[in-house]
Amino acid sequence: MPYGWTGQLLRVDLTKGTAEKEPLNMTWAREYIGGRGLGTRYLYEEMDPTVDALSPENKLIFATGPLTGTYAPTGGRYMVICKSPLTDAVACSNSGGYWGPELKFAGYDVVILEGKAPKPVYLWIENDKTEIRDAAHVWGKTTEETEDMLRAETDPSARISGIGPAGENLNRVACVINDKSRAAGRSGVGAVMGSKNVKAIAVRGTGAVQCADPLEFGQLVFEAMKDINESPTTSSALRGLGTASTVGFTNSVGILPTNNFQAGQFEHANAIGGQTIAQTVLRRNKGCYSCPIGCARVTEIKPGSRWAGRGEGPEYETIFGLGSDCGVGELDAVLYANYLCNLYAVDTISAGGTVATAMELAERGYIPEEDLAEVGTELKFGNADAVMRCLEMMSYPDGKFCSWARRSRTSPPTTPAAPRAWASAMPLRTAAPATCAATR
Amino acid sequence: MKMVLAHPQKCVACHLCEGACSFFHEGAFQPAKTRIFVHDFVDEAVYLPVTCFHCKDAPCLSNCPTYAITRDANGMVQVNDDKCIGCKMCMVACPFSVMGFHEDKNVSHNCDLCGGDPQCVKICTYDALEYAEVEPIEWMVRMDIAEKPAPAAAS
Repeated sequence: MPYGWTGQLLRVDLTKGTAEKEPLNMTWAREYIGGRGLGTRYLYEEMDPTVDALSPENKLIFATGPLTGTYAPTGGRYMVICKSPLTDAVACSNSGGYWGPELKFAGYDVVILEGKAPKPVYLWIENDKTEIRDAAHVWGKTTEETEDMLRAETDPSARISGIGPAGENLNRVACVINDKSRAAGRSGVGAVMGSKNVKAIAVRGTGAVQCADPLEFGQLVFEAMKDINESPTTSSALRGLGTASTVGFTNSVGILPTNNFQAGQFEHANAIGGQTIAQTVLRRNKGCYSCPIGCARVTEIKPGSRWAGRGEGPEYETIFGLGSDCGVGELDAVLYANYLCNLYAVDTISAGGTVATAMELAERGYIPEEDLAEVGTELKFGNADAVMRCLEMMSYPDGKFCSWARRSRTSPPTTPAAPRAWASAMPLRTAAPATCAATR
Repeated sequence: MKMVLAHPQKCVACHLCEGACSFFHEGAFQPAKTRIFVHDFVDEAVYLPVTCFHCKDAPCLSNCPTYAITRDANGMVQVNDDKCIGCKMCMVACPFSVMGFHEDKNVSHNCDLCGGDPQCVKICTYDALEYAEVEPIEWMVRMDIAEKPAPAAAS
């Protein structure tokens, strides 16, 4: 019996509409240990690296590791692996929440999606039973609506991972969202899911993750828990203020991306920092599956603000992406932009970088008047309305922004002003490859 | 008697207790066989860990047709596997839905306090679970407490 792993892989051929179980390659599983290495190996072996990332030949791999589903600290994560439409390299996006463990309990370590469905579909995995179902009624819906609707027609305890309008419209900064607000964000994995016409994967599992030596495993876990409880980062900083606790520090050493990273310090850093979140909008703390740290923040915009909504976040990266990098120093606006990104399933870092770049280009006069008119509000640093409008335009195919975001890194400059504009697109160039390993 | 008490305001819905529970009792991680349940209401931001309260007038005990459910000397309500016929009457009777069911053995199970060292309490790093000395009370009384408006969430 394979301990830790469940030893099964689910291969879904969307073109043919088949879903088949096969044994996991245990040699690879042992060689690479985690889901990231294992999934990358499958991609490396099975896919021609020259294919277009948004073509049916690309493969979308959902992979878990041997600790996923156990009570090992932070053992609730899963990877989404494919060829990235944003960087054209291997995309390894990572997300927490409850979806990964549920997949393990359903009996699978890895799900590989191949080909392209002729019409929008979603997958319903219930233990060893897999159905490819029609998703016409949820196509175009936001992630929250999709999750509620799919839970109602599958199982109230089902966990759902899927895309929003941005992924459907093949936006290259689209992400995959599970449990309403946890994102496998980077590298545009949502666009690949959209290109395959897959709206979501709903999972319900009642099986077990086995352990070879329960006594020793238990001991090791409790030792690790002790380390986590003693380390100041994990015990006080992340538990107390979440990843937003970093804002004060990065601002003080001058590396908080501000105004498209033209500056490293932001005058309103305190207003969008961890302390302010804890004192104003925080509803309560939350943790992903099997996580003793619990850095997630459940927040709500208080009544009386221009914006309204509730959800999870913001994380540090969201605060700089949609906040300081766009010059927005209003916490409610950052929160609302965060909620919008969750609903549309857009990566907050790449989206923030794209908007910030556009703002700098507009301020330097590289964007034609008619394109600016489409935004409807002045595209300049600090204008929160412009951020919201841009996020909307990015997610629905009704404007320039969608194509900007689509092109944002991969295609060569074409217009006369473009070479210098290209040089200004710094955040995407540097941030995307360097942080694709980051956990979010 | 000592039993596992939950403080929902401190819970973050990490489900570590469910993992620890099934690991201790089954030797594997399987939330479907847990005896402590974390209900996460994501939209309402309410996370509710519940486990057996060993009620003074336990409805599971009085409704068991085979007398498989008994109360031990300490006051703990327990299921006798040999007598249980898997009819699930106790699951229907339990007002808090904290009776679990073991599909493989075809018997129901409730919190057995891990023989005096509850694993869920041990693993909870947020102090949301406590192994405390409390006297069992009637289920109706507990229901009345539960139906009162919840205190504001701790932040």
